[in-house]
Amino acid sequence: MSKTEYVSPEGLRLDGRRPMEMRQLRAEIGTVAKANGSAVFEMGNTKVIAAVYGPREVQNRSQLINDHALVRCEYSMANFSTGDRMRKPKGDRRSTEISLVIRQTMEACILTHLMPRSQIDIFVQVLQADGGTRSACINAATLALADAGIPMRDIVTSCSAGYLNSTPLLDLNYIEDSAGGPDVTVGILPKLDKVTLLQMDAKLPVDIFENVMGLAVEGCKAIANYIREVLLENTKQLEFRRGL
Amino acid sequence: MEKSGENEMVTPGDVLGRATDLKPGKGAYVASHNNTIYASLTGFRRIQLPPPDSPDQRPIVEVTGHKAHGPVPEPGSVVIARVTKVMARTASADIMCVGPKSVREKFTGIIRQQDVRATEIDKVDMHLSFHPGDIVRAVVLSLGDARAYYLSTAKNELGVVSAESSAGATMVPISWTEMQCPLTGQIEQRKVAKVVS
Repeated sequence: MSKTEYVSPEGLRLDGRRPMEMRQLRAEIGTVAKANGSAVFEMGNTKVIAAVYGPREVQNRSQLINDHALVRCEYSMANFSTGDRMRKPKGDRRSTEISLVIRQTMEACILTHLMPRSQIDIFVQVLQADGGTRSACINAATLALADAGIPMRDIVTSCSAGYLNSTPLLDLNYIEDSAGGPDVTVGILPKLDKVTLLQMDAKLPVDIFENVMGLAVEGCKAIANYIREVLLENTKQLEFRRGL
Repeated sequence: MEKSGENEMVTPGDVLGRATDLKPGKGAYVASHNNTIYASLTGFRRIQLPPPDSPDQRPIVEVTGHKAHGPVPEPGSVVIARVTKVMARTASADIMCVGPKSVREKFTGIIRQQDVRATEIDKVDMHLSFHPGDIVRAVVLSLGDARAYYLSTAKNELGVVSAESSAGATMVPISWTEMQCPLTGQIEQRKVAKVVS
């Protein structure tokens, strides 16, 4: 590992957070007028927009599934989302993989058997990338699905955690993410207490791993509370407007 | 059916009750491993009393969200459709309404020759039953093939409810097989629905 100090002796991270502190969350529902459901989700400087279309008729008949809905997901990164502006080809390995991860995570929570022979499209785009885009995308997709009124088992929330300078760190930002240490991304169904996503691209002793994962799960639960609040507030708002 | 106004807001995953004393309705599902009913939508928790004649006397718990989905045709529902194409053995139609509600997206239906009327089904001439542009009332027989629902007009109250003559006027039904144009007096053949007002 590099010599950089990610946690200062005072116990503060590079961006001034404590090791177990999350970045500020912000969410907005109904940001894309044409979509059936949409949301913007921010975790600090990471900003993601998600739009959900469907359930609608299957566009490509060969993909039709007779007893449940087809879930499709497309992940993309805006050219201006990172520090160096780059033209990235659509459908590169990274975005294909993240699309797949998001699709599988969302498919696990959508009650697809209620919507046979139909398809649900989820589009997520990263507007600003500062680490944890995968988690932010999943959280945004959950909000958008809930906004679209698509039946779900539970809301899925995701959060990442890492291990740098022998300290478990919650919700890594870009600098911490690119330090090369372990990065554990967890997605859970908080009310049902089930894990739907678990990714790590490094080696870690089991006992430390359990610690780090526990931290990420706590983060997921905090995000879930926030998302529920946002959903309830949104429903209240809509009900209020309807009453006028 | 009565509604009790217990307006509690829920989000997906919230517990609504036990499956032993409640029955899941719309926006709710039951998890089989612990017999608990959870919400699957965001909205208000409402409890509906079951119809008095049903054998299951558990109250129904449902979640009514803010977004109402458009109706979807299902077998047995009565639909209003516009005929788009008439072929020798089938007529295709675009479904416009399911029951009293208009659909949001496009659904296509097919009326097969044997489903046009109840009697002498082998002597049906499709071109003497429907014309493109006719508004028909039909019942959904089945989900059909991958392309279209199968519709049937084999009942007295089903068939063409509104049609334009070649002169462009809305025709008046004069029998269950004929309609007449009020402008020219010309009689055209249709499978006419007996509209009960």
